[in-house]
Amino acid sequence: MNKFKLSILTGALLSSSAVFAQVTAITNATVHTLTKQGVLENATVLIENGKITAVNPKSFNADVTVNAQGKVLTPGLIGTMNQLGLVEVGAVSRSVDAYDKSGIEFDPSSAFNPRSSLIPYARKGGLTQNLSIPSLPWGESGVFMGLGFVADLSGEFGSVTDSQSALIVDLGAVSGDGSRAASLQAFAKKLSEQKKKLTSKKDKKDDKDPSAEEKLLTQVLKGDLPVVASASRASQLLELIKLKEQFGLNLIIDGAQDAVLVKDELAKAKVPVIISSVANLPTGFDALHAHLGNAGTLEKAGVNVILNIAGDGSHNVYQMRFNAGIAVANGMTHEGALKAMTVNVADAFGIEGGKIAKGERADVVLWTADPFEFSTRVDKIWINGEQVTTESRHDKLTERYTTDSSMPRGYTK
Amino acid sequence: MNMFKPSVIVLALSTALLGCQQDTGPQKDKVTIEKNPYPSTYKPHSTSSTLITNATVLTGTGERIDDADVYIVDGKISQVGKDLAVSADTTVNAAGKWVTPGIIDNHSHLGAYPNPGVESHQDGNEMIHPNTAQVWVEHSVWPQDPGFNRAREGGITSLQILPGSANLFGGRAVTLKNVPSETMQGMKFPEAPYGLKMACGENPKRVYGGQGVAPKTRMGNMAGYREAWIEATEYKRAWEQYDKEYAAGMNPDAPHRDIKLDTLRGVLDGEILIHNHCYKAEEMAMMIDLSKEFGYHAGTFHHGIEAYKIADLLGENGNCAALWPDWWGFKMEAYDMSLENVAIVDAAKNSCAVIHSDSDTTIQRLNHEAAKVMYSANEVGFDIKEEHAIKWITYNAAKSLGIEDLTGSIASGKQADVVIWDQSPFSVYSKAEKVFIDGAKVYDRNDSKYQAVSDFMLGQR
Repeated sequence: MNKFKLSILTGALLSSSAVFAQVTAITNATVHTLTKQGVLENATVLIENGKITAVNPKSFNADVTVNAQGKVLTPGLIGTMNQLGLVEVGAVSRSVDAYDKSGIEFDPSSAFNPRSSLIPYARKGGLTQNLSIPSLPWGESGVFMGLGFVADLSGEFGSVTDSQSALIVDLGAVSGDGSRAASLQAFAKKLSEQKKKLTSKKDKKDDKDPSAEEKLLTQVLKGDLPVVASASRASQLLELIKLKEQFGLNLIIDGAQDAVLVKDELAKAKVPVIISSVANLPTGFDALHAHLGNAGTLEKAGVNVILNIAGDGSHNVYQMRFNAGIAVANGMTHEGALKAMTVNVADAFGIEGGKIAKGERADVVLWTADPFEFSTRVDKIWINGEQVTTESRHDKLTERYTTDSSMPRGYTK
Repeated sequence: MNMFKPSVIVLALSTALLGCQQDTGPQKDKVTIEKNPYPSTYKPHSTSSTLITNATVLTGTGERIDDADVYIVDGKISQVGKDLAVSADTTVNAAGKWVTPGIIDNHSHLGAYPNPGVESHQDGNEMIHPNTAQVWVEHSVWPQDPGFNRAREGGITSLQILPGSANLFGGRAVTLKNVPSETMQGMKFPEAPYGLKMACGENPKRVYGGQGVAPKTRMGNMAGYREAWIEATEYKRAWEQYDKEYAAGMNPDAPHRDIKLDTLRGVLDGEILIHNHCYKAEEMAMMIDLSKEFGYHAGTFHHGIEAYKIADLLGENGNCAALWPDWWGFKMEAYDMSLENVAIVDAAKNSCAVIHSDSDTTIQRLNHEAAKVMYSANEVGFDIKEEHAIKWITYNAAKSLGIEDLTGSIASGKQADVVIWDQSPFSVYSKAEKVFIDGAKVYDRNDSKYQAVSDFMLGQR
């Protein structure tokens, strides 16, 4: 009962803040708009009711004015391809909700925990939104993972903004008995069967409702539901481009360690590519061209690059901005790297935000300096127009063990 | 079948032998244990002299010298200071650049878990028994692992390769010079002591408990360590007794040779250093007590996510703590992460804070890992400078490996393991430009002649 009351209360509070919307003005900021406006110096950004309402207005009235004093304002970063909100401790199975065998229709969004300790920590890295995806238990492989979803990282209940943001399929190297050819065929078969059903539907008398899987495949075939396919071998990426063209997929490729070999084809086919900028080892025979320069090379070729964190991206996603810096040190443009964590992600997945422009979602981060540098901190962060804290339990632990007290540490709170 | 005679029996027997005056004939050959059967064949690659001029030099021992020169002769640092009046075979103008000691990673699995990470390459964990002190990870090292080259490009000049953490005693670790070589021996750091990998906590109890074999719990872990040290103590006594009797002119039988106990005895004799995978505060404290119970030093704690909770204890006992700046959450013992862990440990009296990688990726950027710690700690009130933070990946790492008198700092007489960075190594944009090992240039970002390629990568285009 109590929990129920609490959520009603939170809901009431949320709507009240919307009713009494206040205007926040961030002034004197170096604003990376990530639009044609480029970088604006000493600029003002107005936020109201969860939206950016003006950039550099001639005049304004604000309830709250934050003088940025020349600090750097960017759109909030968007994490991808991790299990944020679906995992607390990797090795504690009952704290992990990312796995299921249900296949294409597996939608983990209802298990998203906005109170996960990983979320305030992710905000420390300037993240305001995230695309969480289902995964498989360690050592298992399969083609159809299920659906990725988008949530804001406000920590509020109800922060899932889109429960069906992408279908996740793994078409990469398979260990054990599988061939990647079979994975690709399994996916193509699902698509052609559904396509056939759609075209021949009228002939059939039994008008039974399509299954959840069929509905999703229909969305995929219409290009409404993006498909993220994990794959790295260059020849396989070409096969995926063919599949995109054959079925009209809204295709995004993840992993893509050898994408540089087919960069022009990827650019031409307008396939966004999600990569880890620090992947530079031949982790397998599909990754012999993994290189620190790949992000820059793909950018230059005109590929829509999205940066993410390899490995345990859920706990380590705060490091994304540093990986962007490493990409820049190895040939990516600074603006390109920033876009690869904001507007490129938003565009690929149809997420609101990623830019600082009138009418955009008010997810913005004020950085003390260059967002990619180790010496830089998140000074302030707004999600959906509300300022949120970056303090996490890690800070509390540090505080406890650096505070002098005559009492045992357990009493320092 | 007991593999050696318990000391009490040995003592009793030898007394009996003495009493009876038996076996006093010509002594059989003395049985001795070859402690270095796979010796290093590493040789420094250059004896030419190099002068690096006008750099910002971080010595690795807490000092920063601006506009300084470093003079390298015969593979050793000869002089460090401003405006050195010397001539050299090669002069490198390093104006605007930074110079540090070669970076040392005291926790790597390169070569034992190499890339590509395929089934055939899983050579780091002898997961067949909770005590595999008999295995030596150097026998698993594949020198062609492309990761060695990537690490060198990140300024890594020395690194310790450890067995994995599945077992209470994982086996012997080895310290390497990060030079290209066809053989492990060609990389082996000649004077470095051996290490012994131990592991606390979740890994051993999960691996063996899951098989219905001890240890299944943390208390089982401790029992396993104690039993092993009791056995090792008896083994040590048996050999000492043998040596003593032989020296006294008697003709005793040598104890049965046991390579597992050779390693544990090496620890008791102070010749082999402990490197203990141990995350949690209370477990590290118990491992210190364990070392006192059996009379050895508990060495370096690796991955000590909770080291900050017992920073004083680590300092008092002279333990190094090899830590990540920010890994966490993958298991329960990694949950209580503090971004300031390294800095809090470092602030204790007699501390030895080390930043390690345990990763083929972050080993390429330990300077960045140090930067993360320095800046987040300074944000909460520490006042750590670059010249101090560099110690975590140079001098302190060398100390943890027992090689601090040889490398890990830029000082006269030290091995010339040196990195020239294009800017402050604490910037995310920084890159190692030139890397020297024993005075020989082993990497140059601007000269492909000094960019080694692994056999594995040759022709893979």
